[in-house]
Amino acid sequence: MTARAQEPLVDIADLVIGYDTGTRQVRALDGASLQVFDDETLAIVGESGSGKTTLGMAAGRLLPPEAQLLGGRINVSGVDVTSADDAALRRLRHDRLGFVFQNPTAALDPTMRIGRQVALAMGGRPGPEAIAELLSRAELNEPQRIMRAFPHELSGGMAQRVVIAMAIARQPHLLIADEPTASLDASIREKVMATLGRLRAESGASLVILSHDLRLIARHADRVAVMYGGRIVELGPVVQVMQAPAHPYTNALLAAAAGNEAPGERLRPIPGTPPVLEARCEACAYAPRCALRQPRCEAERPEARRLAGREVVCHRAEAVIGAEQPTRQEAR
Amino acid sequence: MRLIAYLLPRILAALITLFGVSVLVFLSLRLLPGGYADILLGPFVTPEARALIAQRYGLDQPLVVQYMRWVWAMLGGDFGVSMVTQRPVIAELLRRAPVTLQLALIALTLALVVGYPLGVLSGVRAASRRRKRDFGRVVGAMGASVPDFVLGSVLIFVFSVWSLWFRVGGYVPFGTDPVGNLRTMLLPGLTLSVFGVALILRTTRDTVLRVMTEPHITAAVARGATPGAIIRCHILRNAAIPVVTVVATYFGFLLGGAVIVEVLFSVPGVGLYIFNGLLNRDYAIVQGGVLLAAVVFITINMLADVLYALIDPRVGAAR
Repeated sequence: MTARAQEPLVDIADLVIGYDTGTRQVRALDGASLQVFDDETLAIVGESGSGKTTLGMAAGRLLPPEAQLLGGRINVSGVDVTSADDAALRRLRHDRLGFVFQNPTAALDPTMRIGRQVALAMGGRPGPEAIAELLSRAELNEPQRIMRAFPHELSGGMAQRVVIAMAIARQPHLLIADEPTASLDASIREKVMATLGRLRAESGASLVILSHDLRLIARHADRVAVMYGGRIVELGPVVQVMQAPAHPYTNALLAAAAGNEAPGERLRPIPGTPPVLEARCEACAYAPRCALRQPRCEAERPEARRLAGREVVCHRAEAVIGAEQPTRQEAR
Repeated sequence: MRLIAYLLPRILAALITLFGVSVLVFLSLRLLPGGYADILLGPFVTPEARALIAQRYGLDQPLVVQYMRWVWAMLGGDFGVSMVTQRPVIAELLRRAPVTLQLALIALTLALVVGYPLGVLSGVRAASRRRKRDFGRVVGAMGASVPDFVLGSVLIFVFSVWSLWFRVGGYVPFGTDPVGNLRTMLLPGLTLSVFGVALILRTTRDTVLRVMTEPHITAAVARGATPGAIIRCHILRNAAIPVVTVVATYFGFLLGGAVIVEVLFSVPGVGLYIFNGLLNRDYAIVQGGVLLAAVVFITINMLADVLYALIDPRVGAAR
């Protein structure tokens, strides 16, 4: 948010990234802009295909070779990620970044005992006590037993705690977690999220969580960025965005997510499918699925503007806030 | 304990395979035209002589009895007697085995030293590129497509005209003259290794390429590990199982006696012995040789199975 005076930890501006599929090029990001500040938790929310994983992985330049940078810039902790050489990138990843992945068992080397993998992540030659201490910080009981285990011998929740421990092993400035709980049982999602949040708060790092589950994330984030069609369509403090969405897509995500519905009330799936862009979208990407669309939405690309304490990319934002929460519109 | 539970079904399967091979070898020779008497006594054999031979060698017994007696004799180490030399086949085979073993080791070493690093390199390079075409695939395809008799003939032609230190034929044992031995053994070894290079290179390349796309490699990259460390710590072991499989198959194939190459370069190994046995219709040699090759092949694949369990902890646990 521009109101803050401090230098952002992550500054992504107008990022455009396409994937070569062989026959054509598909745009995953279509001018995404985002800033992450020190000591905050930012959630990036969107359906699969919205571009959130591409955005998160781009921060460490971890995209597959098919991905092409078509425009924009990424600055992470003072390093220009788009132009940095391999050695500078490795230093950035090694010293400043920590990643947590969706499938923790797959993110661990299947042929190596946990203890050795954690030691590799810590760097140097840590003793068994240091490794056990790190695992305990990620709330793993019996760290000695876990160090001797192979990844396939752990449950998903335990494996994710190991991955989290490895991600924080070198006190990164920025943690990026891509759907960290999506592959876990519902019963332990909340606990793993709490661990992640606690470790972030202890270390003072910033945390970016990528998720499709707006309601789960809302409890653990300070700010939320909603992605659609490769852009951030709404960005603001969680409270504002959740209570009075200014983008119709945010509304639709809230209505589609389980959580606050009254007994007997049906969840409303979002009609239509996310767009597949092959070039810069010159209209509102959400217009085909939007109930509030007007001719302008299909003719003019909306730009980010400030409204009621957040940034929003929608021609009809005033109407969205007015329609959903008429009484609270000016409250914040 | 878990290793035993993992190995027991494999040993059982190996024994069944061995039984199948022995039946096949036994029957295929019985199906050849012309009986033993015709071979032993020539085309003008009298019925009386034929009956005498049949009785003497038990050929008038039912096939099952003949088979059982044959297997029983082999279990006792009796592979029969060569008709030509009148010497026990097993002794002849064992006498030639070290030559074939040396040839196999030369070929395997060359194939590993060249094929494995190139395969890793090619796989790692291919993974970071959009186009997957490169030297690895070209070399792999060429090496696998050149038949060894063509390559061997070319080498013999070249090195017969210009000696260039190497020698074609004229085998001497390593014990008597190590240098002279290598001068004759390197060319056949090289000929045999080309297919191995291609096999190992392609398998290693494809496996490394697959492992490179696994999430735990991305995770290692995301931790800022150097490419060297990623290859050493994460890729080599994860990519080892298919490589072990082809190396075991290739080594088994080499030890079974590389017939064509041994004949081409007059290397007095098991392959040449079996080949001569076949020409002379010396069936005891063929039977014994093929069966021994099968035993070696199956044993090596069993050892590969043990290696799998040591390489990947998931292999033993899956049962």
